[in-house]
Amino acid sequence: MAMTFVKANQLSTAILTSPPKTTVSTAMAMCSSFSPRITKQFRGRPISSFPVKPLFSGSFKAFSSQATTKADDIPARVGFLGLGIMGSPMAQNLIKAGCDVTVWNRTKSKCDPLVSLGAKYKSFPEEVAASCDVTFAMLADPESAVEVACGKHGAASGMSPGKGYVDISTVDADTSKLISGHIKATGALFLEAPVSGSKKPAEDGQLIFLAAGDRYLYEIVAPFLDIMGKSRFYLGDVGNGAAMKLVVNMIMGSMMASFSEGLLLSEKVGLDPSVLVEVVSQGAISAPMFSTKGPSMVQSQYPTAFPLKHQQKDLRLALGLAESVSQHTPIAAAANELYKVAKSRGLSDQDFSAVIEALKAKLQHQTK
Amino acid sequence: MEEVGFLGLGIMGKAMSMNLVRHGFKVTVWNRTLSRCDELVEHGASVAESPAAVVKKCKYTIAMLSDPFAARSVVFDKDGILGEICSGKGYIDMSTVDTDTSSKISEAITSKGGYFLEAPVSGSKKPAEDGQLVILAAGEKALYEEAVPAFNVMGKKSFFLGQVGNGAKMKLVVNMIMGSMMTAFSEGLVLADRGGLNPQTLLDVLDLGAIANPMFKLKGPTMIQNSYSPAFPLKHQQKDMRLALALGDENAVSMPVAAAANEAFKKARSMGLGDLDFSAVYEIVKVPEKSS
Repeated sequence: MAMTFVKANQLSTAILTSPPKTTVSTAMAMCSSFSPRITKQFRGRPISSFPVKPLFSGSFKAFSSQATTKADDIPARVGFLGLGIMGSPMAQNLIKAGCDVTVWNRTKSKCDPLVSLGAKYKSFPEEVAASCDVTFAMLADPESAVEVACGKHGAASGMSPGKGYVDISTVDADTSKLISGHIKATGALFLEAPVSGSKKPAEDGQLIFLAAGDRYLYEIVAPFLDIMGKSRFYLGDVGNGAAMKLVVNMIMGSMMASFSEGLLLSEKVGLDPSVLVEVVSQGAISAPMFSTKGPSMVQSQYPTAFPLKHQQKDLRLALGLAESVSQHTPIAAAANELYKVAKSRGLSDQDFSAVIEALKAKLQHQTK
Repeated sequence: MEEVGFLGLGIMGKAMSMNLVRHGFKVTVWNRTLSRCDELVEHGASVAESPAAVVKKCKYTIAMLSDPFAARSVVFDKDGILGEICSGKGYIDMSTVDTDTSSKISEAITSKGGYFLEAPVSGSKKPAEDGQLVILAAGEKALYEEAVPAFNVMGKKSFFLGQVGNGAKMKLVVNMIMGSMMTAFSEGLVLADRGGLNPQTLLDVLDLGAIANPMFKLKGPTMIQNSYSPAFPLKHQQKDMRLALALGDENAVSMPVAAAANEAFKKARSMGLGDLDFSAVYEIVKVPEKSS
């Protein structure tokens, strides 16, 4: 079931008990890809030329310290697909930590800032995956995640034994399993690792990773996750990370909708909504989200940290998950309707706090 | 030092008046069930035999009753405070009531020459014990100034919100958000569990992020244990949701999420969970859909 904060010094155990689907030779090849001494000497050599002795004994030191994030301890070449609101700062943090990073983005110009910081660029996800040991993907929605992983010139086409794919997009469990299937069919390892946290935590390296899938790959990429984030969870089989993310964002979407109702009601009954924000911040329901977004919502401003369209996507997927386990979720359903109204008013790309606008009465001809 | 009156020694009133006594205030108490006064008396408080008798002795009197009915009762009933309210005396009602009740009490007090302040609180049993309440006052500013030393003992922060009614409204809005949040939280816990996740892990994840809050941190673990010892009774939470929705109705404010949450609390009450902590709404959210 759920496991938290698996320490890197358990790595040797993980190798000895590598999952049955992965053959011993594949596990060895994985070891060699991430062994600092071996990689530099043997990069590009066919896998069969690697010696069969336990390769990790000498290079174990590289992963023994969870606190270490220096580049010389992490030899792997890292790919990064998707440089949006989240992907760009995440990739930047990896580069700043000294990692060897290769990027791709659908709109090439988004890659320029990364390249000027030292990243390499490839024209297709396939090429990124082929030239890297581990490839991260941070796409906006299930459709993009599938396209980038499994489409023409997609990452799966560049995957092979000894490589890993970490999808940090927020998708539904079925999409994640689909991508996992395509990746693992190549002999590579797969990890889903959606994050909790938006733009600022991404910039500050304070994300929370909700990982599931190949445990071995989780251990390997832990140092990268520790650069980009403040904590990480390993949650078991593929689908569990996606589910956890959706549950968290379902609660968040409902909370934001409720907060919006409160702000609007306070204003309509003659109170100062700024004072409501202050009162809330003093009590049992004080949450960082309310303190951060409350003041701008009172000004009818919604600078985008988490686009409203993505919040609505997450609610829709969460409702789908609820339906699949026969659970009724009237609060989330009510909140979802508000986000849908907000989308229809042209607020998709605003911050999700713009949902408050959906509560304000507008006649047809007044919609943006 | 002047004498301060205190009416109502329930879950909240007892803790609040105890803080006053411990901080050197001279307090005269009254409670419908007299035995609850005993502990206060042991710590140095005086007892009076009726609300009127308390007001007779005291410069200002604080009241902490459970609902609008009780709040009106200590004012308007025989031996209620109106008999002794006069110029120079203050009445501070810290009960959570609807705006109509508050304004009726205010009118009655001021027509007798007294001063009135409504001052409902945000916070339940533990914040009351720890003197960490958030006080939402409105009404007579001069009485607010006079009460500030007492407020500083009972709470961590006080707000003066203007005219009578504003304190009541602010309290209702806060509790509306709280009720919706508790129901949303319950939906999340159930979905995590049904989806094959460990609910405790969900709590750990929530505690690290943007929606971390003291209520989830405090109630989450007990909810997972199906334990609902009342800090804030569910029937009071549903009362507050109902009053908030009524405010919304009066002012034509759209509140679909609060309406959905209210339905869950109503159902919980109908299933006899009214005296449990309001987190017991989790039991209602857990009930599985019947397969068709």
